[in-house]
Amino acid sequence: MKATDIQIALCGSAGDGTIAAGDILRNAVARAGYRVISFDVYPPEIRGFGKCISRVRITTEQSYALKRQSDVFVSLDDSHAIPHVGEVRPDGAVIFESQPVATVAEGHHISGHIHPGHIPYGIPLRELSEKSTGGGRSRNLVVLGYIAGLLGLAAEHFLSIIEKKFTKQGSEVVSRNQAGFHAGFQAGAATFKLDNVFFTPLGAPHGSEQVVMLSGNAAVAQGCMDAHLDTFFGYPITPATSIMERLAVALPKRGARLLQTEDEISAMAASIGAGFAGARAATATSGPGLALMSEMIGLATMAEVPCVVFVSQRGGPSTGMPTKTEQSDLNAALYGSPGDSQHIVIAPTNVEGCYRCAGKAFEMAERYQTPVIVLLDLYLSNRYETVTLAVSGPPFNLNANKPRPRLEAGEVYKRYALTDDGISPRAIPGDAGCMHVITGLEHNELGRPSDQEEMHAAMSRKRHDKLLGALQHPDFTVSKRFGDPGRVKVGLLSWGSTFGECLEAMFMAQAEGIPCAAMKVVMLAPFPVQPVADFMADCDVVLVPECNYEGQFAHLVQGILAKPVVRLSRVPGSPMPVEAILGEVRRLARGAVTAIAS
Amino acid sequence: MTAHHASPSVPPHRYVIIGNGVAGNQAAEGLRSRDPEGLVTIITNNRLLFYNRYLLPLLFRSHKDWRELQSHSADYYQKHRIRVIRDVRVTAVDAGRRQVMLAHKEPITYDTLLVATGGRSYLPEELADSRHLLNSFGTYEQAMAVKKALPDRGTVVMLGGDMIGLDLARTLLSIDCRVVLVTHETTFWPHQVTPEVRMEFLNVLRDMGMDVIDGDAAGGVTAIEPGTAGLPARRVVFRQGGDVYGDVVMPFYGLVPSVEFMMGSGTDIERGILVGTNLRTNDNHIFAAGDVCQIWSEQEHAYRFYYGYQNVRAMGAVAASNMTGGNEHFAITQNGSLRRDGHGHIDSSFWAYD
Repeated sequence: MKATDIQIALCGSAGDGTIAAGDILRNAVARAGYRVISFDVYPPEIRGFGKCISRVRITTEQSYALKRQSDVFVSLDDSHAIPHVGEVRPDGAVIFESQPVATVAEGHHISGHIHPGHIPYGIPLRELSEKSTGGGRSRNLVVLGYIAGLLGLAAEHFLSIIEKKFTKQGSEVVSRNQAGFHAGFQAGAATFKLDNVFFTPLGAPHGSEQVVMLSGNAAVAQGCMDAHLDTFFGYPITPATSIMERLAVALPKRGARLLQTEDEISAMAASIGAGFAGARAATATSGPGLALMSEMIGLATMAEVPCVVFVSQRGGPSTGMPTKTEQSDLNAALYGSPGDSQHIVIAPTNVEGCYRCAGKAFEMAERYQTPVIVLLDLYLSNRYETVTLAVSGPPFNLNANKPRPRLEAGEVYKRYALTDDGISPRAIPGDAGCMHVITGLEHNELGRPSDQEEMHAAMSRKRHDKLLGALQHPDFTVSKRFGDPGRVKVGLLSWGSTFGECLEAMFMAQAEGIPCAAMKVVMLAPFPVQPVADFMADCDVVLVPECNYEGQFAHLVQGILAKPVVRLSRVPGSPMPVEAILGEVRRLARGAVTAIAS
Repeated sequence: MTAHHASPSVPPHRYVIIGNGVAGNQAAEGLRSRDPEGLVTIITNNRLLFYNRYLLPLLFRSHKDWRELQSHSADYYQKHRIRVIRDVRVTAVDAGRRQVMLAHKEPITYDTLLVATGGRSYLPEELADSRHLLNSFGTYEQAMAVKKALPDRGTVVMLGGDMIGLDLARTLLSIDCRVVLVTHETTFWPHQVTPEVRMEFLNVLRDMGMDVIDGDAAGGVTAIEPGTAGLPARRVVFRQGGDVYGDVVMPFYGLVPSVEFMMGSGTDIERGILVGTNLRTNDNHIFAAGDVCQIWSEQEHAYRFYYGYQNVRAMGAVAASNMTGGNEHFAITQNGSLRRDGHGHIDSSFWAYD
């Protein structure tokens, strides 16, 4: 039986309930046992009539990216939907309002813009909503019901999710919305299905794992909680805010604390203070906030204080495009702090990776006594995926600190002792006999200021060498190769959220007979030189797709390995289309390596 | 004969065709070839692009996807720049403003309009309340619904028995279904047959294996009811008493022109839209073609309908020519009477679509 792979896109105006409908859809199908990847696009304005799109890909097996073309496209607002109506696959469905409340100017109804190769479904959404709920506001629920009825999805999961979502607003609101869903469901079930899209039944889930629906930011928050985060300091900024919002609810329940500071500088400084005091601390921000934090990150590097910074990238520079995704803060994360400010930078590639990287970031921060930047982006922060979590509990080591040796009588505690692995025994204020100071000044092993040449060189080496251990950090995937083993024509080298698109492109290229492999690089600093060099040596040509203009990761790779790569750098403000990567792979596979590579 | 041609100072001519059948699509093709710059828009309440409805009976012989029935691919419409607005309903034509009004409250402006909406199945008034228990056969979706409802070797009760229904009936007989025909004055429609010919061909149908019930003798059908447990899904009740069961009951009482939206447009309408042999209505900007129009016959001094694929296609071509400044006249290309084929089975020129 053919596996399920259906992508549904809902497009409307702010206030149409587009994002809410997408949220109900993805949660309902996830509850039914399907795998989901979903991403919402919404306007920068808090209120208004901007465009909202919720895309939900529903699969039997795990998928890695959204498809460029949806199978079903819903218009809740034609003025916004018309430019996107072409984003439907051949024979795909376009569902639209057939009974709008007001007169439509000629050419402004979506029916006149539907491609001949698509199937139109004009539905009286408002009328069905009014008849079933007494008002027209439940059009989004009606259309969800229509889709479920048309495609043969069971109503029960939708109804329970609707109940859960609206229960705080009272039973009447729950009933009204469920009635709207029912009306749509009956209409959908009664509609002859012209397309051969269907949902296949699912097998029983594994007992050793639980599947949950999380956004990237929710996964980060969950990872923080499972890693026993003690304190969080933050200042709101899109698209990182929801990390703080979730932790603001979760942390106090466990007796832990969250403080909204006056700005990002304070948030970072407070995190360092907490880390110095022995608390597990973190902050979250975006590009502009990272810029403000850069001096403090240098302090944490110099003072070797553990702290974790979650950075969700958006379009830049400056205020840039707050609600558009981009991968253009790589340089700032790697090099943003003055001086030889070495620290760890890791970048998850999917929502499950957000969870793991969040928990592991605390391990690394404490083990290597350094700031750890976890680099997300808006696409990853806001996209939803079904995530498999082990029932056996969080896979994090909750005490990664290097054990402090017992001090002999009269022995002086050296907070910055020069050791073979560069890691010094860590004590926190109050540990008997371990009184010490920390400073942003260069210092000796005791922590006392020193500007001697030999000491500065030794401490610089220590701060650098200790991080190399992170490349072998236990149970952490620093980099990983996928696809064909051995020699390949094209290798895709990628980081962050774009890797999912790379993986989909690789599968499609393989299906076309192109020998192809892909490598994700999760740890960006310190850089996993050997695995990446080995991978590149196996590839006739290496393609680096990334969502920034300068090709920042390509620069990094070329700078470290001195080997040519082909860049695919784009700044569309949206995820890199799989087809764009596939097109480049095809071109390269044909031997069309141009001067770009040299 | 001059076609409209747009120049930089003259906006392209806007041709709007209501209807997505043989006449409408033939006209669209003709308009495109005669006026390469014109804007051609087809408006239809169907979800699918134009497909050959004459092939619908074949769905019962083998599984055919609707894509296999389509006359043109989606690319054809793009290549020829023919816009097709589907799954929308026309509610009115404002001839003064030259606008077609759609149910979703959008006007579509035309310079020249062709009405080619064809006809829909006629249902006697006494059966209106039983509509939900009847299966129509005008579209792919309806045909598939019949196929789904009909068990292997099941029974179909055909009410009326026009030539559309009899075309389906011969296919159903060939796959060992039972067909019960309840005759009506519209049996053999659109053929107009004498009592003798009618009797002859009812016997032909019996010879082919059809069960024929004399509807007049039974007093006509008064109701359709759900079948009771253990019996087929539908019960047809006769006025004089008695009944017949079937898995599916299908009305085939001929077609009535779909012209309701033209009321109030100022266009002359009798049963269909009245046109001359040039297919022009009393409004110079409105033409009509296909099963929806009644064409003036000089010979008969009356307006009359002309059915059949070839006639309708010819009307589409004539309309396209005249909408672009031509002066052509429709001449009947397909007429005929009932006949028997080589096997002695019923045959009709209305079943020919090539």
